Amino acid sequence: MEVGLTERLDSFVRKHNNRQLAAIPLAIFVIALLILAFTFASTGAPVKLGMEFKGGTMISVATEESVQSLEERFVDYPINDIRQTGSRVIMQFGPMNDEMQHDLISNAVGSYTSVEINQIGPVYGTSLQKQAVNAVIISFIGMAILIFLIFKTFVPSIAVVVSALSDIIIAAAFMNVVGIELSLGTVAALLMIIGYSVDSDILLNTRVLKRRGTPQENITSAMHTGVTMTTTTLAALIVMYLVSTYSYLLSSSLSQITLLSNISIVLIFGLVADLMNTWMLNTSILRWYVTKNGARRRKA
Amino acid sequence: MRDDEQQQSIYRDYRIILFALAIIASLFFIQPWYSSDEGFTSNLNYGLDLQGGSWLQVKLQGAVAQLDADSGLLVREIVNISLGENIEIKSVDERDDGTKVTFTSDSILKNNQMEQLGVGQATISQSNNITEVTLHTSKENLISTYLSDSLKAEVIPVLVSNGVQYEIRTAVSQEELERLMVVVGGSIVTDAIGDAIYKEGVTVETRDLTKEILSDKLNSLGLKDIPVKTVGDDYILIDFAGIDLATAKNIAERPGKFEIRIATQGNESRHVLYGDEIQAVSIVGYNDMDGQWYVPFTLTDAGALALQKAAIETGATQDPLSHNLIMYLDDREVYSAPLSHSAAARLEDVPIYSWQASTGPDEDSKARAEQLQIHLRAGALPVNVELVGSGQVDATLGKQFKEQAVLAGFLALFGVAFVIYRKYNKKAILLPMVGTSVSEVIMILGFAAATGWQLDLASIAGIIAVIGTGIDHLVIITDEVLYEGKLPPKKVYLSRINKAFAIIFAAAATTILAMSPLVFMGFGALKGFAITTIVGVLIGIFIARPAYARVIPEVLETNPMNTE
Repeated sequence: MEVGLTERLDSFVRKHNNRQLAAIPLAIFVIALLILAFTFASTGAPVKLGMEFKGGTMISVATEESVQSLEERFVDYPINDIRQTGSRVIMQFGPMNDEMQHDLISNAVGSYTSVEINQIGPVYGTSLQKQAVNAVIISFIGMAILIFLIFKTFVPSIAVVVSALSDIIIAAAFMNVVGIELSLGTVAALLMIIGYSVDSDILLNTRVLKRRGTPQENITSAMHTGVTMTTTTLAALIVMYLVSTYSYLLSSSLSQITLLSNISIVLIFGLVADLMNTWMLNTSILRWYVTKNGARRRKA
Repeated sequence: MRDDEQQQSIYRDYRIILFALAIIASLFFIQPWYSSDEGFTSNLNYGLDLQGGSWLQVKLQGAVAQLDADSGLLVREIVNISLGENIEIKSVDERDDGTKVTFTSDSILKNNQMEQLGVGQATISQSNNITEVTLHTSKENLISTYLSDSLKAEVIPVLVSNGVQYEIRTAVSQEELERLMVVVGGSIVTDAIGDAIYKEGVTVETRDLTKEILSDKLNSLGLKDIPVKTVGDDYILIDFAGIDLATAKNIAERPGKFEIRIATQGNESRHVLYGDEIQAVSIVGYNDMDGQWYVPFTLTDAGALALQKAAIETGATQDPLSHNLIMYLDDREVYSAPLSHSAAARLEDVPIYSWQASTGPDEDSKARAEQLQIHLRAGALPVNVELVGSGQVDATLGKQFKEQAVLAGFLALFGVAFVIYRKYNKKAILLPMVGTSVSEVIMILGFAAATGWQLDLASIAGIIAVIGTGIDHLVIITDEVLYEGKLPPKKVYLSRINKAFAIIFAAAATTILAMSPLVFMGFGALKGFAITTIVGVLIGIFIARPAYARVIPEVLETNPMNTE
């Protein structure tokens, strides 16, 4: 399966010149940026903020009651959303005062089983937003500095950093498209993308810059290793996503684990974006760079 | 040396020995066990989201700032706020050892009114319907009293290296504080670059005191082992294992019952006042005069009068030694001592607002005074707190999450194994690869068990992510070694391995760097994810992957590869 993917990708890379090769990921990068800009213009944040960042209460219970009857039951509270998955219902409430909060929680704990509650104050949510933005920026800058220290040359380093940036932007845009809200879990996933995405880029750059042989040969060999790496990670994440998201379809005794589901789906998309960015964007920049500097290349 | 290595048995290689020791140590710490009665048991700790329970997160409200103001204006405002009297400032004399403020008033001011202000010693003289008062005080005292009266909150001056810092134990914005200071001709002090020395939050000492009080209160309710943790400077996190959120909130919000009683005869005693009559409790001090540690506290009007009445009626003012004052917290005696002779004598005439509960001269007494300070607050916290977050996962759901997360982990490993098998088409490579990955997981769990780390859902997500990166790195090693499709000679092999490890170290460093902000973000809600990822990566690059690199040529020698 992945051998087929690698070969198709390899021949695609060989057949197209650097400009053509870079065009596709750059176009997608621009589209992703537009999606984020559009979301920013309409909501004030580049991604849709989840309950943890806005403040509110999430209550998930095991119940056979219908959505309508639950809506009636909790009509006195600022309910935003009710979703049913298997034998569980997840309800989202907006911020409310302490007394109402107390009431709601006693109500939920008293009448249902298998209760999960998560409540965040709006003020704390706002400070969490800042922390999340800072975390992503700090991670990214830290990664960029490290990459420059490792390669010590401008073009290969910037290629890795741009690929990683594009991975995150595309993953974030994807969240907007399929309606995944930013939660602590998805922030963790975005940070993890920074960590994961550079793995294959570092491999590619090292092979191409430090190994004997033509750049194209080295790209091919790096691709064989790199695509295997990404597909193994994808395999682990897809399994995690399926188990945490859809296992309730197999048995009603199982339930969704939102945290794991969110982390895995965002990572999956980030890695798919990374396949493209590493083997088209980074590869084209690197191929252009080594061809230009062919004579001065270091030997292994 | 290389020759040696070639001849050396794989079992004597330090990388293999280290690997084996790490696995043995991990198993020793985890102590996995299965019995038919108890099922699978181990030494691992689980987070609340896997074992069931609830948690509360509170923010401590306050501000810390350096302030300056005019002493005369401060006195005028303080008298105005407390007594509603307008006064005229005559002179202000500021010296190193204190400040002397003299003022006059048309109304008659009494000694006990001055004492009620709580700013220092007053000398009062009357002439021609005009009262002249000289206050011996200090600027720190005046500023704290002024802010405390204006904001209805405790204000504690603390000496720091570059001046005096005021801790205001309620939420006050920089603008609001600046406005208050302008009234008394002052301002927030600025530092060398001109930035105001103002910080939202409380001092570390206050945060820790708040934590102690919460711990003390929760654990005195007979609920043992409720961990109260501080997070950052201003946040406190309380975990209630096995308790639902509604109950947890009731417990946390219920104040303790503090009572002062006075001994009458024999073991009998009568009620004097409850904790709500205690206005403020200050920090523990040491009295040079009698060489004792003490806790200062202030009573309300009603409290001071109640204590005076009880002391007179029981005869404690005449014979203090046989009428101890006894303090109870939730009906448990926490302090018992007689009135001092001077206090007893004064109570005959006037109520006393400021009290000191002395505990004794030695280090033990200091500890007792600190404990008493906590008890006196009776679960009332020194600062205002705001509930910023809470949550619950009940036990059945937690158990289900745990089983499902473990299932996800196992299936992820199978998924990875499947991809590896498809790529290399060789069982001989599959076994060491998957084996290395499994052993990395065992070592992460061993680390968790050894350090008492609580595994939560986020940690399990982290472990699955580590399985992902771990395998990536093994693929790099394998492919680097098999560059030409077959095992290269020893010399080339070693240089290849070095190159592979250069890539792996670089990749690992970026992962660790990318994850580290998560350790601190958001109450450490995802600390589990960050820590397992970081620890997993470190274990991988320093223990598991070197061992794999040592084993793989042996494996390939006995099972030659033929890749494309």
